[in-house]
Order: sequence, then structure tokens, then C-alpha cells
Amino acid sequence: MKTIALYSIKGGVGKTASAVNLAYLSSLAASPTLICDLDPQGASSFYFRIVADKKYSSKKFLKGNKKIYNNIKGTDFDNLDLLPADFSYRNLDLELREEKKPQKKLKNNIQELNTEYPYIFFDCPPNLTLLSESIFAASDVILVPLIPTTLSLRTFEQLLDFFKENKLDTGKIKGFFTMFERRKAMHRAVIEEYGNKSRFLHQVIPYNSEVEKMGIYRAPLNAVRPHAPASIAYRNLWKELQRELQA
Amino acid sequence: MITHLVPEVFSISELFDIEGITEDPNIPFSLDAQTQKKETLHLYDTFDWRAWGKNTAIILSRNQLSLIDIDNGRKVSSFRFRRTPQSFFPEEVPDKKTRSSLQAFSKLRAFLRLGTVLTLEQSMRVLDRNVKTVATIELRSILSAPDKETKRFITLTPVRGFHKEFGKLTRHILNNPACAAKSTYRAFYTTLLSAASCKPESNGSKTSVKLSPENTILESARELLLSTLSVIHANETWIPKNIDTEFLHDYRVAIRRTRSILARLQGILPPEELLTYKQAFRGLGRRTNHLRDQDVYLLEADRFRKLLPPSMRDSLNPFFTDLRNSHKKELRSFSRHIASEKHRRFLQEWESFLKSDHPSDPDTTPDARCITSDIAVSSIRKAWKKVIRHGRASSPEATDTELHALRLDCKKLRYLLEFYSSLFPLKTLRRVVRQLKNLQDNLGLFVDLSIQQNYLDTYLSSLECEEESLRLAASIGGLLTALHHERETVRKEFHDRFEKFDRTETQTMFNELFKHYR
Repeated sequence: MKTIALYSIKGGVGKTASAVNLAYLSSLAASPTLICDLDPQGASSFYFRIVADKKYSSKKFLKGNKKIYNNIKGTDFDNLDLLPADFSYRNLDLELREEKKPQKKLKNNIQELNTEYPYIFFDCPPNLTLLSESIFAASDVILVPLIPTTLSLRTFEQLLDFFKENKLDTGKIKGFFTMFERRKAMHRAVIEEYGNKSRFLHQVIPYNSEVEKMGIYRAPLNAVRPHAPASIAYRNLWKELQRELQA
Repeated sequence: MITHLVPEVFSISELFDIEGITEDPNIPFSLDAQTQKKETLHLYDTFDWRAWGKNTAIILSRNQLSLIDIDNGRKVSSFRFRRTPQSFFPEEVPDKKTRSSLQAFSKLRAFLRLGTVLTLEQSMRVLDRNVKTVATIELRSILSAPDKETKRFITLTPVRGFHKEFGKLTRHILNNPACAAKSTYRAFYTTLLSAASCKPESNGSKTSVKLSPENTILESARELLLSTLSVIHANETWIPKNIDTEFLHDYRVAIRRTRSILARLQGILPPEELLTYKQAFRGLGRRTNHLRDQDVYLLEADRFRKLLPPSMRDSLNPFFTDLRNSHKKELRSFSRHIASEKHRRFLQEWESFLKSDHPSDPDTTPDARCITSDIAVSSIRKAWKKVIRHGRASSPEATDTELHALRLDCKKLRYLLEFYSSLFPLKTLRRVVRQLKNLQDNLGLFVDLSIQQNYLDTYLSSLECEEESLRLAASIGGLLTALHHERETVRKEFHDRFEKFDRTETQTMFNELFKHYR
């Protein structure tokens, strides 16, 4: 089982779009793939038109394994399932604090899913909290989408500092650039400077209005607009990520 | 924890109206229906229905080859297959999961297109208020039913996490018992098979004749011989098509079985006829010898290549090309033979001889009235003792002649055990056969390696002294050496294997068999 978190301290950088598209591409290779929507806003659940059962809440999520398992829903796509987010997830942090070893909670809670899902994607909420720490411990790769601007890079540095301070494995962190606009000199300069560094994936996701329209299509972009520039870029990104995971 | 989503299958009448789902006030769903279209389903299996035997349906439709669990209708694997071949081998399948499932059914057999059924299909999605698919429905009418009556089925497939919705839909469909009844995927698949006029398990190579111990041996022998004749007939139509090597193999086994029954029928069948048929079947068997040897070579081509160092492997190519050419020629000549008037008449005469029921002449056939169980016990005992006698007499070096002869003795014993299998308790019989098989594997391998060496030797002498044959000759030489070493290892194991067979334990097992009719 490989676990991949789409994470950023900053909001609106393309976490959900990336999680949904990469998970869809993973499912096409006939591997059952699971997306765990951990963001109380429930954007990836919305993209797949899935609403959590009324009885499902952050408490059940924290109980783990079987409770999680029973609440997984099939998307409209073969081999792609989703654990929907519930609005109660906004309390996850407070509830985690009550648990023993909260950092290891998520890792333990999804352990039994490994027989079924070779790939699990986490769509994370934008902040740096106890839940984030739990996600860091549970993930094999932490993918950080970045808009090529100084503010984005600053949050990336903050994340690295946090890892170093807490003696976490910074090797798990991989940045990649999203919403790249060639006409902007700053975007070009940032990519020139960082694009080839080992902590970054080379593939850049261009700015594409089709990505925003995913809210209308309510489906992964590759399923409805496979020829869109962003779709092609996500396909290449997935290939690069697969190589990364095998290494 | 793996959840399998198991579909429900219903058989429905013409009156069934799926649109009714949206009118049910208890079900807040809508339907997204595709247009109805004609769909041809191609049903695949091996000639002897191996997939069916393992409860698996292999269906090709719309460029999608799917393996389906017949017990519950769940798709085991599925992939894009752009061809609609008459037959294919598992190795040709690009999808790893499907390939290994197919190989588990059979490594040597081809999968044949055994039937084709025309259906009318309409698929639809059941949507909830969020326009999320909560289940899928497939309506299918089987058009080419033999009784001209169109059979209709509906398959409801759940989506994970929407069990409540699935339950509601199931209840709705069953609401009107006049129009819909619960069915199974097995029923659906059997309807497909009968629409394609397929009868599973109709082509087996094993004789599965149920004998009664009190019948006379003449009656039992006739039954057995008729059953091997049906195997001969069944495979004869397929051998010329050159689809897989098992047709010829099963054909040869059937001939050998026939011969080995005939060998036991002294004093049971009239001597003149017995001699004629014995000779005729020996001749028929001989005609297939080369063909089978060539088959084995071609099957082992890869292994042979790997026995040589990589630099020598390509030099073997001319050998395999020659082999394929002579195989083609041999097959053509054999196909001509089995299609000939002479051969057809021979089999017809044989069949009517077996079916004729004029009383046996007590002068020429004094033993025809013996009862089957007596003959079974005495001939198995005789054959077993012979194996033991010859095995014990074999020299410490275990010469080629000794091993060849012992292999034939073992084969005869094995066939007898198979013929009379229905007379003995299965459990004991299986244990005896397992013991014997262990010895047979060793002897079989030895003889195969010997034949292969001889063939290569003859081939080597046929090569002309030209420069281009130099590398070929060298690689054949390399192969001969490798096979020789293999054969000597097998020979060394012989005494060990025989000792394992020649033990009181085996003796007890045989006695237990015979005890059954004391």
C-alpha cells in the first residue's frame, strides 16, 4: 500500500484538484484506489457527488479500520472509492488531542485497508495542526502543490522547517508547481530556479480554466476532458510520481 | 477486509417495466438509460471446458474480455481485447491478472470460441438526488434461444456504500412476481450456453464410464471401448485445425487406451477380430508418433534455447524452422489419412462391431462370460506384479532397455486402474495412483529425454558439411550434452523412486483394493 498526501499550509493551491485527478489516473491502471477526504469543506466528496451517511462523523473516523471501511463509497468510476468528509471533521483536531499518540492515529486507523487498496490519497485541509502531523506519519509521500509565487514558496520553507524541528523525514516531501502562467515573469523565474531541484517534481501543471470547471463536471478532468492541457500535465505528473514511488 | 460487490440477477417477462422504478414513491431515484443496442457475446473455454469446471465464464463482447465467477456473477478480471479470435492461448493475453487466471485453467490448451449469442442490451444508471450513481442496471434479452423464445434477464449491480439503495431497488423489482423472479448468474450463463447450443463437459479426454461389477467382462469392455472411441471421434475433427497440441495428445491417449483394453481381451473377443483391430490401432498410433514428438519439441523450444549459452541460442533457429516445416507436412499427411474413406470405414466397422450384440461363441471366447470385477482384480494384480518383478530385476545401472520396458509396464497398470476406477473405492484408488504416478514421472521423463536425444542425433547426421551449418551443429551438440546430463540425473533417481513404490505400504494399498471383491 502506498499512501500519498496532497498537502499545503496554504489554501487554494490545487490540493483537491490534484488529489482527484491523480487518484483517478491511479485507478485507471486497475489498482483499486481510495481517496480520503480529510477536509471538512468536503471538496473532493463534492466532486464525486458523494455525501457521507448521516451517522458518519469525525468520531467514527477516529475509531478507525472497520468504521472507516463501512463508510467508504464507490465513485462513478471503476476501481476508485472515496471516504467522504463530514462537516464534523472541523473538530478533528480537538478530538485528536484526547487520543493517545495522536500522531500515529491515522496510520493505525487505515492499516487494515492495505489488503484492498494499493494506493490511498489524502486530500488534506490547509493548516498545520495535530491532524497534519498524523497525516505526515501516515503518508509515504507528501505532495505539496505550489503556485509559483514567493508566498507559496515561503509556506513550503515553513513546512520544511517544521519537519526539521520535529525530526521528521523531510525526504517524504515533494513539491510541484500548479496554476503556472507562462505570461507571468515571476512564475517563469520561480520555475527556472526551483523546477530542477530534487525536492520538486519536474512536471508543472499549467493554469487551465478547465480545472475550475471540475466543479461543474463533477468528475476528474481526465475522465471528461482528457485533451485539456491540465489533463495531459496530470498524466505526466502521475507517471513521474509512480517512478518516485517505485524508487 | 475485501468487500466484493455481488450483483443480483433476475429473470423477467415481457411485461416488466423498468421505468416503474421512478414512479415508486418509496424510491427517490431517477434513471439514466443508454439506448438499447444489439450486442454479440462470444463464449470462450477450452475444448474440455476447464474454465467451466472452475466456475468461470469467459465472455468477449465489445472488445472486452471478461472472466466472470459463475457462482455469483462477479467480474474476476476484464481487459480490452481488440480481436475476436477463433482461439487464443493464455500467453497472448496482455493483461497479467487475466493471463494468470487462464493459465491456472490450462497451460497447454487453447481457449476456443465455443459459442456466439446475439443479445439485446440496455444499460442504465440509477441516480440519487445528487445525480450520483447508486447502482447500475443491465437489461439483456437473449435473442438466439433455440426454442425461439426470447429470454430476458436483469442484472442489478451495487455501488459500494449504497447498500440501502440496492435493497430498495431489489425489493422494487421483486414487487411484481408475475413479471420478475430472482435468478442467478449461473442460470443466465447456462441460458447463454444453450442459446449457443453448447453443452459443457461434453468433451472430456478421461474415460468416465461407470461399470457395474456384476456385468460380464464383454459388456464392460464394450462400454469402455465405445467411450474411448467417442474421444477419438471428438478429437479427430480438431487435430487438422492445429489449434493446440492437446487434441493430438488426447487422441493418442485414447488409442493407447483402446490398445491396452484390447490386450486384455484374449478369450473374450473372437481371436480373428481381436488381432485385426489390435494391429489396426497400433498402426494408427504409429502414424501419430512423429507428430507428437515434433509437438513436444516445439512446446519445449524455449526451454531448449535456455539450456544453451545466450550466444548459441540463435543458431538453433534453423533447427526449429525445419521442425515446423516437417510438422506442417506431417500434419497434412495425417489429416489426409483421418479424412480418408478407408479410415472412416475402419472406425465405422469398429463401432458397429462394438455395438453388435450377437452372442459370443463359447469355443473361441471362453472367458466372455466372466464377471467384470474378477477380471479387474486379476488383471490389475497381474500388471502390478509385473511392474514389481521387472523393477526388482533391473540392473544397478538401470539400462535404457530396462527403463523403457518398465515404463510400458507402468502405463499398462495405470490404464487398468483408470478403466476399472468406478469399481473401487475412490480414496484407496487415488492413493495407489499417486504412488504409481511418482514412479511414472521419473520413467516418463527419462524416456522423453532419450527420444529427444535420438531425434537430435539423427538430425545432426542429416546436416550437410557446409560452413553455415557449423554453428547449428555446435548448438545441437551443446543441446545433446545438456539433455544427456539431465537424463543421467533422472536415471540416478530411478532406484530411489522404485524403492518408494516397492514397499509394504504400497502392497497394503493394493491388497486393500483387491479386498473389495474377495
